[in-house]
Amino acid sequence: MNAAIDFINILLPVLYLTTFGIYFYDFMYGGKNFSNSKRLFLFITLLVHASYLILRTILFDHPPITNVFEIFTVLAFSVGFSYFILELLTDIRGTGPFIIIFSIFFQIISTLFIQDLVEVREVLRSNLLGGHVFSALLGYSGITISAVYGILYLILYQDIKLNRFGLIFNRLPSLEILERLSFVSAVIGFFMLSLAIIIGVIWLPKAFPNFSYTDPKLIGTSLVWLLYGIGILSKTFGKWRGKRVVTLSVVGFVIAILSTALTNFLSQSFHSFY
Amino acid sequence: MNLAAVTINHHTAPVELREALHLSAEEIAGFVQDAKGKLFNEGLIISTCNRTEIYGIPVDNKVDYNQIQKFLVNKKCVSNVKPENFRNYTSNAAVKHLFSVIAGIDSLLIGDNQIYHQVKDSFQLADELMFTGYLTKRLFDAAIKTGKRAISETEISEGAVTVSYAAVQLIEKIFSSLNKKSALVIGVGETGEIAAKNLKERGIGRLSLTNRTIERAEKVAEKLGARILPFNTFKNYMHEYDIILSATSSTELILTKEDIKNSMKRRSYSPVILMDIAIPRDIEPTAKEIDYVFYHDIDSLNIIVEQNLNKRRDEISKVEKIIDEETAAFFNWFNSLEVAPAIKSLREHFELIRAEEVGKNINRFSNEDREKLEIITKRIINKILHQPTVELKRISEQGQNSNDAAVKISILKDLFGINNIDEEEKH
Repeated sequence: MNAAIDFINILLPVLYLTTFGIYFYDFMYGGKNFSNSKRLFLFITLLVHASYLILRTILFDHPPITNVFEIFTVLAFSVGFSYFILELLTDIRGTGPFIIIFSIFFQIISTLFIQDLVEVREVLRSNLLGGHVFSALLGYSGITISAVYGILYLILYQDIKLNRFGLIFNRLPSLEILERLSFVSAVIGFFMLSLAIIIGVIWLPKAFPNFSYTDPKLIGTSLVWLLYGIGILSKTFGKWRGKRVVTLSVVGFVIAILSTALTNFLSQSFHSFY
Repeated sequence: MNLAAVTINHHTAPVELREALHLSAEEIAGFVQDAKGKLFNEGLIISTCNRTEIYGIPVDNKVDYNQIQKFLVNKKCVSNVKPENFRNYTSNAAVKHLFSVIAGIDSLLIGDNQIYHQVKDSFQLADELMFTGYLTKRLFDAAIKTGKRAISETEISEGAVTVSYAAVQLIEKIFSSLNKKSALVIGVGETGEIAAKNLKERGIGRLSLTNRTIERAEKVAEKLGARILPFNTFKNYMHEYDIILSATSSTELILTKEDIKNSMKRRSYSPVILMDIAIPRDIEPTAKEIDYVFYHDIDSLNIIVEQNLNKRRDEISKVEKIIDEETAAFFNWFNSLEVAPAIKSLREHFELIRAEEVGKNINRFSNEDREKLEIITKRIINKILHQPTVELKRISEQGQNSNDAAVKISILKDLFGINNIDEEEKH
């Protein structure tokens, strides 16, 4: 069983890289070679990844959410899976490589540093923690995808303004669609983050009686949550649109990444569990 | 195969000459009526604004290209046509040329798939006029297949290659769906009218027109079901429109940057597309500096057109490969028409000789040996005919050079006197 997990752990970056390669080829050269089969490659990759997560949960007797490298593999899956659903629902196929690259990034880091943890602290076996982490990950996936579409919007906006009718112009969907995708992903991300915060607020005092509200992770997440909240409200009430909303989404994503990096690698936080 | 083709097109003749030799459907009917039986047994005439092409199976070997050209020129009473204004093709080259035409690589606008429909209509017309025959019908199927493959297997028809379609392509890169958008066309001369028509065809939600001469605007608005805005007050309503397309013949600016700024404020900076397809320009180009204003003029649209044309040019080699494949397939079929009966005649001829000789000498053999004699003589005939049969089949499958097949069949028939036998049998 352990050997199977180790094998899939190495296989996953290879699968994501292959899928990325196919999506990238299709983006660069178009044609009919991979326009349909690339989705099948992504599906197979996600299926193997889901099996890997289930195997880990069974073998190590806890869901893979107890340290940052376990979380990264779930995040890689979550980003890939969210994109897969989005592609199925919208049939917009030209943006895959820009999102799958995030799955590659998260999965490679996880593959390199993940450990086979059997013994975990009792506090990490709580169901509430599971709900908290999964909703937070879906939230982060949402804001990651929102930021990617936001960046693509800004690039296409500039290209059209400056009469640059290259690959980006030819392959990407319209500005209006990119803005909508970015916004919908942000709303889903915001909703899931809100859920994660609510569960966290309920669970936190029980798990960590001595926690502090000045914890960098709490501050970072609150800031991200607030930014997205302002952006969504402004867009909903018609005050902001286009560039301004997508820029906010990109800024929110950068803050979220910085906050995670600071919390897990630089500062001391109760969110660091390993 | 003796298919002949005579063509006058944009490669060979100026537009005045092409116009002069253009044949309407009625004229084609008259042409067919006069040419059938005199020049051709069966055929096809394609006549569009860029080409008039006559394809046919001549009634005999005496019909030459000059006769076909003269026939057309006399029919249209045109005097200043020179022989170099025509191009002539025969057999393989004629089939290939037809396939290149239907695939769009011979068009003025490479990959223009309008020609596909025009060739299809021409075949239909020839069929209605009973000008088609067994060969041209098969040629039609092969041509249609070639055209379809070119469109579906390559990108020869992809992308906008006219300014008006480039404008639509650009609009569709900004707005996802035109049916919820509104457009204002300023100036409804020829260009403005085409642009308005394109927008209407792409399903624009609301279309308004404004023109200095209100009568002209009314005429176009009636055709397209559009609203009219008075020219002297249209700026007051500009903010209501997502797309503003200007195509007036004015020598002065119609819209200044200030006008656009005011309009953007009123529409809370909701994106707007300004398409200035007038020469000289109608809209102040610095308007593009305003956020959410997508200003484009003829030059920027021409960039899209040129890029798409280059992409189409890159696809020509793929289309040529399809044409080669389909030409070979067509000649496989055509050669088999000649080869199969030739093989049959040859075998019947040898079988006749064998049967005659066996019949004459059968009494010299005992009853037990007669059966063996049959088997042995048949085997000898089969062995003798094996190589010629294989060779003829090979020629038929080799495809394009139908002359090779015809020459070899003719030699074979002459050497064994098969023609004489066929004719004797007929008598």
